[in-house]
Amino acid sequence: MTTKQNLYHSKPAQWAVYGLFFAAIALIPVFVTDGFLLNQFAVYGIYGMLALSISLCWGFGGILNLGQGIAFGLAAYGMAMTMQMQSQDPDSNPIPPFMLNNSLEHLPWFWQPFWSTGGGILLALVVPTLFYVVFGTLMFRARVSGPFFAIMSLAMLSAFATLILDMQPYTNGANGISPPAPLSLFGTDLDPYGTTAYWIVCGGLVAVTVGAKLLTQSKFGLVVQALRGDPERVRFLGYNVALYETCIYAISGFIAALAGCLWVMLIQYVSPAQLDTTFSIGMVIWAGIGGRLSLLGAILGAFLIQGGQSYLGDQFLATWLLMLGAFFIVVVRFLPKGLAGLLEMILGSIARQPAKHARPEPAGLPAAGE
Amino acid sequence: MGVLEIRDLHKSFGGTKVINGFSLEVTELTLCCLVGPNGAGKTTTMDLITGRQKPTSGTITLRGDNITALSEHEIAQRGIGRKFQVPAVFRELSVRQNFEVAYSREVNPFRNMLRRRPPGFSAKLDEVVSLTGLKDRLDVEAGFLSHGETQWLEIGMVLMQNPAILLLDEPVAGMTEAEIEKTIVFLNRLKRTNTLIVVEHDMGFVRQIADVVTVMHMGAFLAHGKLSEIEADPRVREVYLGEPEV
Repeated sequence: MTTKQNLYHSKPAQWAVYGLFFAAIALIPVFVTDGFLLNQFAVYGIYGMLALSISLCWGFGGILNLGQGIAFGLAAYGMAMTMQMQSQDPDSNPIPPFMLNNSLEHLPWFWQPFWSTGGGILLALVVPTLFYVVFGTLMFRARVSGPFFAIMSLAMLSAFATLILDMQPYTNGANGISPPAPLSLFGTDLDPYGTTAYWIVCGGLVAVTVGAKLLTQSKFGLVVQALRGDPERVRFLGYNVALYETCIYAISGFIAALAGCLWVMLIQYVSPAQLDTTFSIGMVIWAGIGGRLSLLGAILGAFLIQGGQSYLGDQFLATWLLMLGAFFIVVVRFLPKGLAGLLEMILGSIARQPAKHARPEPAGLPAAGE
Repeated sequence: MGVLEIRDLHKSFGGTKVINGFSLEVTELTLCCLVGPNGAGKTTTMDLITGRQKPTSGTITLRGDNITALSEHEIAQRGIGRKFQVPAVFRELSVRQNFEVAYSREVNPFRNMLRRRPPGFSAKLDEVVSLTGLKDRLDVEAGFLSHGETQWLEIGMVLMQNPAILLLDEPVAGMTEAEIEKTIVFLNRLKRTNTLIVVEHDMGFVRQIADVVTVMHMGAFLAHGKLSEIEADPRVREVYLGEPEV
């Protein structure tokens, strides 16, 4: 049986769809002038980045990570601390108000580096990534995998959430940190409802998507996909499997950390809710429904579910969760590769049809860019 | 001097001695068949050589280097390739991608991030494809291959690694007669350029490929030599062949 190549697997077609997607999200500020709506779209972009990060480690690397909130939350705290310190003055007012309420007389040592905006943002990105490197190395060297890793990541997430809740004087506990002013970069305030903030998020999403796509097409990406299926075989071919797993896990953590920073830039708030287990499991559901083996599929899955949550959730309240659950079950049972897998199947059956049309059928292509 | 030397290897699982003072020396460019009845410890020996299991005591040296304490990927990098008893290929990847992964000259993840296809791959792929006859199947997902083709793919993958020594664990298990014939021709060609250790049950197959035969019994070395010598050995007849072969 000879088959034409499935358009879904054609690299030029994939890049064309990515290009369409980037153009679509870049055009949003032209049509949307309402600041609140623009801010909400930017937040969807953050969710897209999180879903992409899950797609990298779960979809491509086979590492089911239910604790992605660790990187997202820690980075969000780092960013909130940076923004909080921008409102403090080293001489007249060095201690944030909530610490004074908790009768702290000195700024804790680990808050000191956040006086510097650049240093603070750097720490917000580096600390979670380093944690992923250490935690990943410990887990993957011991060959913890599959559901066992999922449980460990979930437990670690809960541990961090509890720690932050308990350290009330340093983190303001359940109330979280709400910096009084927007992020100030290079002397100008970055209005979270303005187009600049949207562009920053949009640029971040495009950058991590292109980076992740190139990564999956590299030799590294191929080895990672191979070890998803059979880590033992990869090991006997001479690759250090634990190192590869740690790499893809840490890269996915870095993307989630970037998402955490940008999220606080948009929302100006962080609390232990960002390390809530339901939020992290939600990310896995976005990627699962959209298609964990497709980076773009995962991003669109996040848009779809969070969009549905915003609009249908208000209408149906608790029933929305039941609808989401039922939808998830249907996808897991009938579409293990998610909605992107459905597109792959449709394009595959088009490719298998006898060539009635002389020209290639582009019908399925625009559907993916929507 | 032997390219691979095993000295006084012991392995026990919770008090049960599986390998009991086994020694072996494999000469460069020979095909050595490792035979023995079920439970003789053949596959465990393979596991010990490739680092999947660690011996209780004893040493394994490759070209004079002690590799006993190394982990699987380090041993593989030093040039020991292994084909598993149950074919292990990446079923979700295409045949070509399977070969790409197997071409493991560069194993550093960071360098591999910046690279799509390593230099020298195409030439090696052509060579291995012409040996294994998978030319028309390169773009097929490995999960769709027949059982025989999967065996060939895995042998091809081990060859892509460019190993100094190939360990093949029951390479013809589940193959059709025609495929076995093809494998015999292939192995006889391969032993001119590679050193091979083949674990095998089928004495008919062993007769057609082996330069030397090592017999294991109860985890220990029993006999070593040409097949005709082995078959004449009364101890071997007793434990393995069971009855005199005609």
